[in-house]
Formats: sequence, structure tokens, C-alpha cells
Amino acid sequence: MFKRLVRLLRLPIILLAIVLAIPMAIGSVAAQTSTAIRIGVPTAIQLRVGRDTVDAVRMAIEEINADGGVIGRQLEMVVADETENPEQGISAVRKLTTDEKVDVLIGGYASGVVLAEMPHTAQAQTIYLGVGAASPSIAAKVKSDYANFKYFFRVSPVNSTHLAEGLVAFVSGNVAVNLKYARVAIVGENAKWAQELVPTLKKGIADAGLSLRMTELFDPQTSDFSPLFSKARESGAQLMLVLLSHASSDTFVKQWYDARVPLMIGGIDTKAQDADFYERVGGKAIGEFTTASAVRAPVTPKTIAFWDAFVKRYGRAPVYTAPGAYDATYLYASAVQRAHGTSADVVIPQLEKTDYVGVMGRIAFDDAHDVRAGPDYVSVRFTQWQDDGARVIVWPRALQTGNLIVPPWMRP
Amino acid sequence: MNEILIYGAVISSVYALLAVGFTLVFGVARTLNLAHGSFYALGAYGTFLMTTSLRLPLTVAATLAVLIVAALGVVMERVLIRPLRGTGLAVPMVTLAVALVIEQALFLGFGSEYRNVPSFIAASVGVGGVDVSGQRLFTVAVSWSVLSCLWVFVHRTRQGSAILALSQDREAAQYVGIPVDRVYALVMGISAALAATAGVLTAPFLTVQPGMGLMPMIKAFSIVIVGGLGSVRGSIVAALLLGYAETLIAYKVSTSWTELVSLAAVFTTLVLRPAGLFGIRTR
Amino acid sequence: MSRARANIAGAIGFTTVMVVLPLIVRGRYFIGVFTLGLIYGIWAASWDFMSGLTGRENFGHALFIGAGAYTAAFLNTVWMANPWWSLPAAACVAVAFSLVVGIPTLRLSGPYFALATLAAAAILQRLALIFWERTGGEDGLQGIAPLLGSPLGLYYLCLFSLVAIVAILLAISASPWGLILRAIGADELACRASGHNTTLYKVVAFAIGAAPAGLGGALYAHHQLQAGPQLLSVFVSVSVITMAYVGGIGSVYGAAIGAILLTFLTELLRGAGEWRLLVYSAVLVLVVFFRPHGLVAPLWHALSGVGE
Repeated sequence: MFKRLVRLLRLPIILLAIVLAIPMAIGSVAAQTSTAIRIGVPTAIQLRVGRDTVDAVRMAIEEINADGGVIGRQLEMVVADETENPEQGISAVRKLTTDEKVDVLIGGYASGVVLAEMPHTAQAQTIYLGVGAASPSIAAKVKSDYANFKYFFRVSPVNSTHLAEGLVAFVSGNVAVNLKYARVAIVGENAKWAQELVPTLKKGIADAGLSLRMTELFDPQTSDFSPLFSKARESGAQLMLVLLSHASSDTFVKQWYDARVPLMIGGIDTKAQDADFYERVGGKAIGEFTTASAVRAPVTPKTIAFWDAFVKRYGRAPVYTAPGAYDATYLYASAVQRAHGTSADVVIPQLEKTDYVGVMGRIAFDDAHDVRAGPDYVSVRFTQWQDDGARVIVWPRALQTGNLIVPPWMRP
Repeated sequence: MNEILIYGAVISSVYALLAVGFTLVFGVARTLNLAHGSFYALGAYGTFLMTTSLRLPLTVAATLAVLIVAALGVVMERVLIRPLRGTGLAVPMVTLAVALVIEQALFLGFGSEYRNVPSFIAASVGVGGVDVSGQRLFTVAVSWSVLSCLWVFVHRTRQGSAILALSQDREAAQYVGIPVDRVYALVMGISAALAATAGVLTAPFLTVQPGMGLMPMIKAFSIVIVGGLGSVRGSIVAALLLGYAETLIAYKVSTSWTELVSLAAVFTTLVLRPAGLFGIRTR
Repeated sequence: MSRARANIAGAIGFTTVMVVLPLIVRGRYFIGVFTLGLIYGIWAASWDFMSGLTGRENFGHALFIGAGAYTAAFLNTVWMANPWWSLPAAACVAVAFSLVVGIPTLRLSGPYFALATLAAAAILQRLALIFWERTGGEDGLQGIAPLLGSPLGLYYLCLFSLVAIVAILLAISASPWGLILRAIGADELACRASGHNTTLYKVVAFAIGAAPAGLGGALYAHHQLQAGPQLLSVFVSVSVITMAYVGGIGSVYGAAIGAILLTFLTELLRGAGEWRLLVYSAVLVLVVFFRPHGLVAPLWHALSGVGE
């Protein structure tokens, strides 16, 4: 009987041993061989935004290392998949901070996941530079509990409140003026971030003297927007301000085009920022304008160089998390250099003093560690898809590369 | 009003395709196929792949996609489902795992971004004062033709009779010599083909992304419940009901309530009349 | 060695391994993973108790899990209660939900109960999103206080809870009461014909299964320090069922061990990067196909049933 027992148990015991041994081995090897400064990248690696975060950090690391590293040490990167699920995100940061023992975290995408990760990162006293989540709640936490959350800095993108304010400025300063539109509709996905912005938009529209004809937030799972477009048409609005992030912009735009909806669309549309968006929807995005963190334009002297280097290296144009991740890596390196060390206590004060001209603009943080937005810092930019997929910067005026156009069926 | 009629028809026809396939497999083969949504996704992605990489003309690509997915359904039935039949939760579990594998494979193969499939009919058509995209009208036309063909097949051919016989009484069908396994495979193939067709038709104007199969399957599930598990007629009626209910709510109230409609419908049906509208009571 | 002795030996062996585990494989990350595994074990075992025994598959176990987690979150962040209140409160809330959903639907036969539970969890999830101002919407509720200062302490608390819960559930399932539940699973009609009020038994079993699920939800909330609508998703319900399945449906302890194994596997596969979920689901296909009766319970039977 004993022999049988052993025989039966052999396989499970071996499996158990492997299950336990591998993570131990990997963890200890990695932590030991390291004189390098380790940058942990928690992001949604299956998504484009995640891939570009990783690639941008890698590019920055290689450049910095080639230049001699930071305080005599090389940089290295460790990636962990946080998916869009807070449970995986928390696991990811726990792994990076307590198992891989990274010196800093650069990444993030879904605001809910980042918010869930915050107490765990703070507990590990590891600096976190956010490059993908735009919720103002993140900075709000820093402000309300500095002692615990001082480790968090939001490098990119500009937070959604600023984006909404920028949108209002753009609409009243350009769209209303040049196209003489006065009737507006607000359409967005029924997600928290959009719900929070609606009051800002409503107020801004009222202040600009425009008339708000319709407000509707739709279920993010919606794939058929015909009822929505129909209502928009009936409302008599000329301009539809959209708030789209997780919802399907591709489908939205395609259906808008196919139905020749007589409203101009534009606003905060995360997916429409992708360089290949126009092509992805078969050209049906013509006339849509959206906020754009990543554009191939001389926002700063570094922007175009970065863009071209990224395209050359990876064969595709970067999405909005890439410039942020690139800049975050550089400004971290610079802070470490100035602090002569990597411990959070000395690096945080240096990060707070950041005044860095990166790819996105001039980066500095406010007292809630949120990236400053504005004409002197990182401006809220709007681009519009025009004929043949040309992406024209239509705001701010200083960077404008062309005039606003109207969708083909709305031209007189 | 016209818009509601037309757009409701479009949604209902897609729902009908998905629900009929699902209920067929359940009613005849007593199989809860949780990979049904994957067939829908594969139909769309197959068309995408063949039009972009292989540069095949759209009609050819679409037909090929449907046929390949039907074959996949048959293979899955033969290889994974048949050996596990009768072992409790095994079949739903294995189909669920397969659905996950397929979704992940699509993620890895095609990336997470949404893909574009060209329309069969790009032009916009005016119907009853409403501007509808040609593709949507095409969807309605094709869906109902396919379902009619299916009806003819089931009620007028020998294989169709075999299917009907099996759905009524499995043992009696076996006694008269109907090759049960082969009919099950046939039914799975038809179900997969219907789902793939829905995917092919809607790809141009709805989403094509790796996770696209989940919502349609949950919808199909809900419709089949309301219509009655195993009843094709029930599925069609329920598809129309649900499709129009959603469209009505979307137009008259708000699009954020549409999902709640199907949930409420399911729950109400289960509490009031669990067998559904035309349900066949399961043994 | 008799069956009973073998089972007790197995239980002691398992508990010993789990007690010693975090002392060998050290580090906050690993303890975090182990704790998560234990919590999933509680969820899976509680699911298996009702659904495994009676055969009434509950596709909405996430309802109790999420309700428990949100209860803990509200108590802690909105009403500033001591975290320890979360545990009993979460269990009570979960039981309440089980009665609300169970009483009207457990009299239904066929797959209707499964679908009703699926719908119930989905409805609660929708509501959590609709009332985003109170519930935090998709982001959920943050800032929940940890239950114990040390992660190791929480681990042992969860381990103790799991062992206690599994022991209690096993005791119930071995009792005459449990026998009736199994009879319902085998042939409900015959059971009813023998004069038992099968609906009552099912409802009570459902409630008994709900309590640990809610409790686990509260433990989860105090471990992760957040609670969100993902906990109410069909994904969580299905994960729990999968774990019970891998463990061997109806065994209760199998579900717990299956949960621990699968949680470890998910984390272990991090090395596979983008391929992680594909490998995981492929492994699942293989396990379901080659071991349709589960891995853990049949294995244990093979080991311990040596005398038979």
C-alpha cells in the first residue's frame, strides 16, 4: 500500500514542488543580480496602450543607458500585466514592489485599477508615475492624504477635468466662432469619468452662450447607435460633443458616417487619437476632432524626434501612453540624478521640483502631484481628421496647422 | 416611428440568427454550448482575415468564413463534446474553456484594437423616409432568407426530419435507426454557421474585437430563455420581442437602459413562466 | 487505514502544509497570492456545498461575493465602522440576498435557477453602476482599512476561516440533512415523493452556501482594500464554478483545493506575459477533457480509498 501511495503521490508532489520553486527561484535571481535601477511597468499588456507604454519605456531606458545610465547605474525594466481588472492590478504591483523589488513604477491605464493599486504601492513606499489614467481622483487622494500617497505622480495624460475645460475653450474659441454653430448635444458613455465631466461641460456651454439641446449617456456595451443619432438629429443640434473611452469609437464613427448624421462630432475620444484610427474605420472618421496627447508636431523640439524614432523602431505610430511613459522615464532619471539616490524620501522632493521639457510639453507638477495643464505646460490639444487621413492640429492656436473642416455631407 | 420599425428589424434579425442556433443545439443535442459567441466572433474575424491578408473578394471571404466556422463547430462537437456527453457540467465547462482559448487567440493574433470589415453594400438607402445603411437592410434580408432556408430544410428534408425526431424523443429516434451522433454534428454545424453568418453580416457596422462574442451570447441565452429552450419558433418570436423592446426603449427613453431590458425580461419570464413562450419542458 | 482516518490525515496534512507555506515561501507578494487563493477557496467550497450537492447550478455566486465585499466597503468607508463588523454583516447581507433570489426561483426545475441567479448578479452589478455616486461606479470603493496589521496575520485568519468553513460544510453534508440534499441532486422527484419539502431544503442550502461567500467577500475587501463591480461579474461566478469543477463537484474540500491551485496557476503563469490567459485556458480545456470528474477529489479518492 505504501508503494502505491508513493507512486500516486509522485506526480502531485513534483508538481507542487515546481509550483513553489519557480517563483522563488525567479524572484531571488532577479533581485540578486541587480545593481541596476529597476523600473517596474504595470500595464495592460494585451492592449495597445500597454504595449506602447512598455515600448516607450524600453526606448527611453536604452537611450539613457547608452548615455552612461543614471548615477553610474544602468536602468532595467520589469513588466507585469495588470489587465483591466483591479485584482490582477493589485497582484501585479505587489509582485513588482515586494517580489521584484523595483525602485519605481511607471505605467497604469484604467483609472479604477490604478486607484485600487494605490494603497498597496503606498504601503511598499514605491514611487509611481502614472502615464495612462486620467481620473482626477488619483491626484485628489494625494492631496487629501499626502503622508500616505506622496509617492504618486501623474505624468500623463492631462486629467479629464482639464480636458473638459479645454474642450469648452476649443468649442467656444474655434468651433462656434469659425463654423458659427450654436446648438450643441452632449453624448457619452455612461461611465463614471464621463458622468463627472458632464456638469463642467454644461456650465462651459452655457457660459459660452451656446444652446444645449440634448444630453445622453449610453451604456458602454452599446453597439448600435442609431437610436442615439436619431434623437440627436431631432434635437436640432449642430455639434455633438462626445465622451468616449471604453465604448466603441470605431463603431460609433462608422455608424455616424453611414447614416450621414447631420451633426459634427468631436470631443474626448480616446480611441480616435490612435494614429491608425482613420484607416481602421475605412476613412469614416472624417471631420471628427478629438483631444490628442500624442501628435507628430513640433509641440516641443523633442516631439518629432521621438515620434520618428518610435515609428522607426517599432513600425507603428505611438498611442497616447507612449510619450507619457517616455517622458516619465526621463524625468525620473533626472530626479534620481539630482537626488544622488533612489530611495523615495530623496527622490520625491526632486520629482516635485520637476521642470522638464519632454515630448509632451513642459512637465511640472502641481501640489497634488498632477501634471500641470495649460499653454505654458502641457497644452490640451485637439486634432481633426481631415481628407486622406491627415491629422490636423486645430487647437491651440499657437500650434494650429490647419482650419476646421466640416464632414462632407454637411458642406453646403 | 419608421425608424423604430426598421432598426428594430435589424437587431431582431441578428438576434434571431444567434438564438435559433443556440436553441437548436440545446433542444436537439441537449448541449449548452458556451462557445456559441466564439463562432460569431470567428465569422467576423475570418472575413476580416480573408479580405485583408488573402485579398479575397468580400462575398467569397464571407461564404468561406461561414463554412470554415461550421466545420470548426462540427470538429469541436466530435472531438471535445461527444466524449464528454452525459458527464454533468463537463460539456458547458469545456465549451467555456474553448471560448476563452479562442478569445485569447484572437487577442494574440489580431491585437486588441477594433478591426474594420468592408460592407457588402456601402450605399445608404432611403426607406420609408429613413436613411438606412444598405448593409443593415442587407442583414435583415439575408437573415430571414437563411432562417427560411433552415425552416425548409428542417421541415422538408430527410435530415431535417431526423433533427425534429431527435428533438422530440431521443430514444425513439435511435430505435428507428437515426444516426444520433451524425445528427448532433449536423446540428452543431448549422448552429455555428448561423452564428458565423450573424458575425459576418454585422461586422461592417458593429464591433470586431476579440471579446465581441460575449454579449451576443448572453443575449442569445436570454432570448432562448424567454422563447423557451428548444423551441425555434419561440426563439424567433422572442428575438423580435426583445429586439423591438430594446429599440423602443432606446428611442423613447435612453440608450443606457437597453441592457436592463433584457435582464428584466429574463428574470420576469423565469419567475412567471419559466418554460418560456413556447418552451418544451425538459425531461 | 479506514476511509475516515485517511480523510482526517489528509485534512491535517493539508492544514500543516498551508500553515507552513508562507514561512517557507516568504514575501508579501506570495502571501498576498496565497491569501487570495484561500478566499477563492472559501467561495468555491461554499458554491459547491449547495450546487454540488443538489445539482442546482448557481451561476450567480458573484452576487453574494460582491454583496459581501460592498457591505464591508460601506461599513468601513461610509459608516466608519470597525473592520471586524464587516464579517458578520457581510454574511448576513449575503444570506438575505440568497433568500430574495432563492425563494422565488428554487421551485423551478431545469436550468432556470441557473439563469435566474445569473440575471440576479447581473442586475446587482448594473445597479452598482447606475448608482455610481454612492458606489463609486466602475472604480468601486477605495480606502478600506485592512483587517489586521500584518499580511501574515490575515493569511492565517483566512486559513482558519477556510478550514472551519469546509469542516462545517462537510459535517452538514455528511449528516442526514446532507443526505437529503444529495438525494435532491440525484432525483428530486423521488425525494419529493418521499415527503420532503425539497424547495425548503434547497433554499436553506442556498442560504448556508451564501453566508461564507459573503464572509469571503468581506475578507477580500479588507485584503485588497477595495471593492468594485468586477466582483459582481459573471467572470467571477464562472471562475468559482471552474474551481469547484477542477476540484470535483460535490466534494466541497475539492473545490477549496481546486481554487487554491488555480489561483496559484494564474499567478505562476505571469512569466508567460501576453500568453498567460491563453495557456491558462488551454490547461483548463485539457483538465476538463481528461478529468471530467475533476482533479482533486478523484485523486484523493484514489489515494485514500486504497483499502477499498
